[in-house]
Amino acid sequence: MNGEDKKELKVKIKGGIRDLIAFAKLVPKRRKRFQRASSEPITSDPINEFANKLHPKKQHLIIDEIRDETKSTKTIKAVPDLDSGTNSLAYFRPGQYLSLKVEVNGVRITRPYSISSSPTDALKGFYEITIRKVEDGFLTTNIWDKWKVGKKITCSDPEGFFYYEPLRDKNHIVAIAGGSGIAPFRSMAKEIIETNIDVKLTLIYGSADEEDIIFYEEFKELEKTYPNKIKVVIVLSCDEVNLEGCETGFITANLIKKYIDANECSFFICGPQIMYDFVENQLKEFNLPPKRIRREAYGEVKEIINLSGFPKEVADNAFKIKVHIGSLIEEIPAKASETILVALEKANLNPPSSCRSGECGFCRSLLISGKIYVNPISDWRRAADKKFNFFHPCSSYPVSDLEIKIPRTR
Amino acid sequence: MIEQITEQQFSEFYDAVIIGAGNGGLVAAATLALKGAKVLLLERHNLPGGFASSFVRGRFEFETSLHELADYGPSTNKGGIRALFEDKFNLDSEFIEVPEAFRLILTDPNEGIDVVMPFGIEEFLEAIEKEVPGSKDSVKKFFDLGRDITNATAYLGATRGNPDQSVLLKEHSNFLKTTAYTVDDVQNALNIPEKARKILNAYWVYLGLPTSRVNCTIFTVMTYVYMLRKAYIPKNRSHDFTTALDAKIREFGGKIEYNTKVEKILVENGKVIGVETSNGDKIKTNHVVCNASPTLTYNKLIYPKSEVPEIAYKEINARSHAVSTFVVYMGLDASTEELGLKDYSYFIYKNMDTDELYESLNELKTPKVQATICLNSAIPDCSPPGTCILSITTAFLPGVWDNVKPEDYFKIKNKIAEELIDNFEKATGTSIKDHIEEIEIATPQTCARFTGTYNGIVYGYEPDPWDSFIPRLMSMNDEKHIEGLEFCGGFGKRCHGYSSSLKDGETAALLTLQDLIKKGELKNE
Repeated sequence: MNGEDKKELKVKIKGGIRDLIAFAKLVPKRRKRFQRASSEPITSDPINEFANKLHPKKQHLIIDEIRDETKSTKTIKAVPDLDSGTNSLAYFRPGQYLSLKVEVNGVRITRPYSISSSPTDALKGFYEITIRKVEDGFLTTNIWDKWKVGKKITCSDPEGFFYYEPLRDKNHIVAIAGGSGIAPFRSMAKEIIETNIDVKLTLIYGSADEEDIIFYEEFKELEKTYPNKIKVVIVLSCDEVNLEGCETGFITANLIKKYIDANECSFFICGPQIMYDFVENQLKEFNLPPKRIRREAYGEVKEIINLSGFPKEVADNAFKIKVHIGSLIEEIPAKASETILVALEKANLNPPSSCRSGECGFCRSLLISGKIYVNPISDWRRAADKKFNFFHPCSSYPVSDLEIKIPRTR
Repeated sequence: MIEQITEQQFSEFYDAVIIGAGNGGLVAAATLALKGAKVLLLERHNLPGGFASSFVRGRFEFETSLHELADYGPSTNKGGIRALFEDKFNLDSEFIEVPEAFRLILTDPNEGIDVVMPFGIEEFLEAIEKEVPGSKDSVKKFFDLGRDITNATAYLGATRGNPDQSVLLKEHSNFLKTTAYTVDDVQNALNIPEKARKILNAYWVYLGLPTSRVNCTIFTVMTYVYMLRKAYIPKNRSHDFTTALDAKIREFGGKIEYNTKVEKILVENGKVIGVETSNGDKIKTNHVVCNASPTLTYNKLIYPKSEVPEIAYKEINARSHAVSTFVVYMGLDASTEELGLKDYSYFIYKNMDTDELYESLNELKTPKVQATICLNSAIPDCSPPGTCILSITTAFLPGVWDNVKPEDYFKIKNKIAEELIDNFEKATGTSIKDHIEEIEIATPQTCARFTGTYNGIVYGYEPDPWDSFIPRLMSMNDEKHIEGLEFCGGFGKRCHGYSSSLKDGETAALLTLQDLIKKGELKNE
């Protein structure tokens, strides 16, 4: 050790002998304290109880009502499934999503859906999610065919970072929505009114045609009753428009300028992939700092082979993945054009997942060998994860045969 | 739907099962695996590290909890942690030196203290002499005491807790004579001037107890070691070294299973015989190294309950559970130069009446205490050009958040966060708020959510003199109630903190190893 300049220091606190006695008594006194203490076990842990209430591992729900919003959109209202042990619904921040855990044709998958009801509704005992039918969609076809009132469903806790944050955002939210991307904004609008948040929300909502507009009456009613809080701008892209007071064409910078001062707003965007590209391009005109534009996670990217850097030469290939899960090792098939998460689900390995956008990290796995392509727009990995070969299967694609270790579902 | 596929379950025998991949558990697993033991490390979360982690929001990757790692040291003067990481594990993780010890700002206008203090014992002494003329000699005595205590604990370690009493008395009397006392007791005896004590005690918040209560030994050693070896932080956040440890454990032949929560530690006739998990694993083992607290372990994990001796409950109930933390993480869209943030570590307190400060942690209001880190001041490229990362930490005592309702939770945490930011802006004369690009606010509930720690507690048990690391180490054998069960981590033998938890993991592993070898379950290599 450091024997340097050891000038004699003689510490005296209460006096030489008394200090030594104090030391000698340290442990006996400790023991005495223990002997005197209560032997009651501790049974409560309010902070963990709260954490579990806000973030339950799972929520069991029963479908209470299914409403047709448009010809291709349904709102599903669900209440706690008391029999399965869910007594109340987790509170959330408007804009967050639930990851549904469903079995479709014998395959267990997850799908994230924004909550379209408000946090206050959750306290009252229900969630609503608003789903648009996807042409040949694996899950939505099943929902349209099979989901009836009374069906039991399982979902995650509320997740995601797509919410208004008063410490960060301007108090004028410009919500740019396309299609069922309206869902989180209905939750935000309801919350603004129900809890009287000091925020204005201008909704700029793009739809193909009049029939496709979701929550039209509801938003119009909110706008009429609370003109200082809610403003609705409907933008229809079809040729023939009969709806009064709506805009036509696309959500361009010029259109946006008509309604708001971009420098005094925070933009929230939620919609299909093509809309992000278009709108973000338009927003460039305003030269906004990144913090003023928030986007909901993309979800699984369609047509991955068109993305830059994707190794097109393997696009049609099929690979084998040797998967370690718990104590099990299994070999499964995978396609270069499908995420590794999809391959794992098809093999019914029940991997954990939530956002399916590379963001939440629930599916974080270890790449033992082989090569993967990580979709750059959904690469939210930590620096060390990249360094030590961890990856998110929901945003990664096999480029060769692989060996991986995935976590079990909790 | 079959929830757990039985083929995935573990049922083999392991030499040791490590519960929890926090700092302690990771080092314990790596140490045991390195020595050839067959180990399985189980972690309820899907990441290693416990509190030693990171998370990504937008363009930023945030450090979750580490402010500065003590006892790492430069390569020319390695501390215990650097020796462990580099020499024992050959760990692939880079650490960066923190530029200065701290900036202390007391916001009460009557205090008039706003100082930046350097690392290095001589440098610190010079600086404090400049601030408080005439204080140098007494403060030097404090550091000399730190040196003496460090030497004494090294001697205790070398003699494996069986010191020669006469050597102790002759060579380590300063250690003996101060161990039963508080910081105030000792600093009074050393006649350190009041203003110098205010500066010297800035680190009090790292132990979370007022100087009238906190044990002198642990505080003195901590301050001394910071000055002697400076502080370090991982270049790529704590997730880097915890993931590097994960990789090493696998390289050494150990197994790690995430998303696997241990539900039961099976005990029979006072001996560990196995563990059961939420995934249905039934694992046989005679040795468990537990990174969970004794509080959680004895009250929840030991099965059957009849195997928990009454004294284990008494010990837990006699001890004081320490604070949990509250952190505001911010990614700012301006550089440190633009914002005028020159320093790395800001201690901003109302005053240095640590009793008053501590009391302010006991209310659901903004505490009069914050420890703020500007990560870019140590690692300029830790975020993209033109941005920086700032995190404000304060603490709350157990019980404060117990009755918060979910519908009020976000409002309360935002209000406290906003006031902490206000206080930071006022104290430093900087403007932060307009630059917030990303913000996350972690509460005791967040700590509970990600680690499962009892009541969200981060700092383990409070280190009063009777429950500081020396009495804990001295009573280690007497307080071992179940054969084959060793504890490690922030609630462990060395008290909380990164370096303590890491070292405690090593100690728990070595004790387990000793036992394995003694019983012939493992060959001594």
